[in-house]
Amino acid sequence: MWNEKGYKRSFRWPQGVRLPIAVSVHHQSEEATCPMPDGQPDPFDYSERQYGARRGAWRLLDIMAKHGVRGTWLICGATLEKYPEVSRAVQQAGHCIAGHTYAHEMMCNMPPHSEIALIKKTVAVFEDLLGEHIHGWRTCFASHNTLDLLLEHSDIEWDGSMWNDDLPSLIEGHGREILEIPFATYSDTALGVDITNPAFPPSRFSTWNANPPDFMLRGLKSAFDALYERGAERAVMMPLVVHDFITGRPFRSKVLDEFLTYAKQFDGVVFTGHDELARWSRETGEFGKE
Amino acid sequence: MAIEIKSKIEDVRWPSGVRLPIMLTFEHQAGEGAPLFAGERPNYMVGGAMQYGARRGIWNILELLDQYRVKATFFVLGTTAEKYPETVQAAAKAGHEIAGMGYGFASVRTASEEQERSIVRRAAKVLQDIADVKIRGWRCPDYRVSPKTLDILAEEGLVWDSSLLNDDLPYLFDTGSRKIVEIPFTTSTADKTYVGYPYPQRGGPDGLSSVWNNELDVLYRESEKAPRLLSLSLQTWATGRPASLRVLGQLLDRLVGHEEFRFAQCSDVAGWRLNSAAP
Repeated sequence: MWNEKGYKRSFRWPQGVRLPIAVSVHHQSEEATCPMPDGQPDPFDYSERQYGARRGAWRLLDIMAKHGVRGTWLICGATLEKYPEVSRAVQQAGHCIAGHTYAHEMMCNMPPHSEIALIKKTVAVFEDLLGEHIHGWRTCFASHNTLDLLLEHSDIEWDGSMWNDDLPSLIEGHGREILEIPFATYSDTALGVDITNPAFPPSRFSTWNANPPDFMLRGLKSAFDALYERGAERAVMMPLVVHDFITGRPFRSKVLDEFLTYAKQFDGVVFTGHDELARWSRETGEFGKE
Repeated sequence: MAIEIKSKIEDVRWPSGVRLPIMLTFEHQAGEGAPLFAGERPNYMVGGAMQYGARRGIWNILELLDQYRVKATFFVLGTTAEKYPETVQAAAKAGHEIAGMGYGFASVRTASEEQERSIVRRAAKVLQDIADVKIRGWRCPDYRVSPKTLDILAEEGLVWDSSLLNDDLPYLFDTGSRKIVEIPFTTSTADKTYVGYPYPQRGGPDGLSSVWNNELDVLYRESEKAPRLLSLSLQTWATGRPASLRVLGQLLDRLVGHEEFRFAQCSDVAGWRLNSAAP
């Protein structure tokens, strides 16, 4: 069991940071391929998503390099095993690297012993192939056990699996603590592509039922404007989620490119990774009852 | 089972003077792909929206392509060719490439090798008989390949396939007996994703325009340093409608008349890929 200490209204980022933006790339390629009714992977969806590792991730790396943006790459263990050259380039570029489950499992369907085995397996893949001990974790479909398992069976320092807050909170349990850095609707799945449905996420044709890029860009800019305005008075953050197989497509990559160009102009906008958000939260953030 | 021949981007060479090939691929069906209502009852709603392509859409498209003197590739369903032979004959006569897309929208994903081979042969024969063409390429109607698809296509003498969606550039498969070229496409820039009833209307014609313009902008810029290919998947039932037809016309306005863009048919691109550097 664990206790949560939410952020206080007095929570502040370090001096000069008005709006931190964490560009978070989900490098998962074909791992969340939808099944056909017979349970076999849908070859169409698989192929559309496989673009992510073959081409999309490289394009996203290029755009981040062009803008001098450091971000967070959330990488599936299986994707790292199949396409190690992508993750090596990500590591070389100095981005924050975190685990994104092994094969994009829906942990909410897993018993605890399976979930912890997958967490450990994924952590080991990063050590074996990148020589990197990861400190961050995100599962898109968390279970009731996820935070307990991370606290008890890993030394993960921050988790980004929750969708329920504006700013980080401190999770204490099993003799240690984790920073929960939540994510939000600043994402290509919310603005660009219908990837989930209530019946069974992810949905078939998930790369197909899509909003056009002008809509995505408008959504990102209006979210940014609201956060930047609010950032004058209190702490805000923008964890911006993009997927290798969604925003990595040429026409959508331009949305990210244009958004970065737009956001960079504003004073106090800082592009960073979750590792730094976690460090700042510990250094200058305030948690607990008001 | 066909095995991908690993290659580098630099292995792809377009003919000199060509900076960015433009490949328009039209999929031509007459409602065979529409799901029936329970109990095999007809679905005139979805089926009718798709039948539009064979009744009217393809003629609108052929007229537009003729105005711009642009050559494209038409994937034609065997049953559509039988029901609307004049549409395929007109496309072939106008110099467009005719390629195979199955027969009656049957999925090959779980078909036996014999079943799949008979679909390829039957589709090829129908197009030969009706339009006097020998098809050189293929796209599975539901984009769902079987483990044997590329082998069967190669054995049946086809040169290229365009059923996969996982790359920017064509690449090669070794099927044992011979190589086959894979020319990937994507549904993420496809007309039906944005304007094609019965799918959700996302953004309408303006949205589709922003998709295609962005795609061209990015690929054009990237093609300065590395080879790229602009490949669009279009439905005669979606782009054939006046509103989206106008969007295609506006795209052609940006492209036609500029030497660095080269409108290519799939067989051109396959040939260029085969003539590129090793392997």
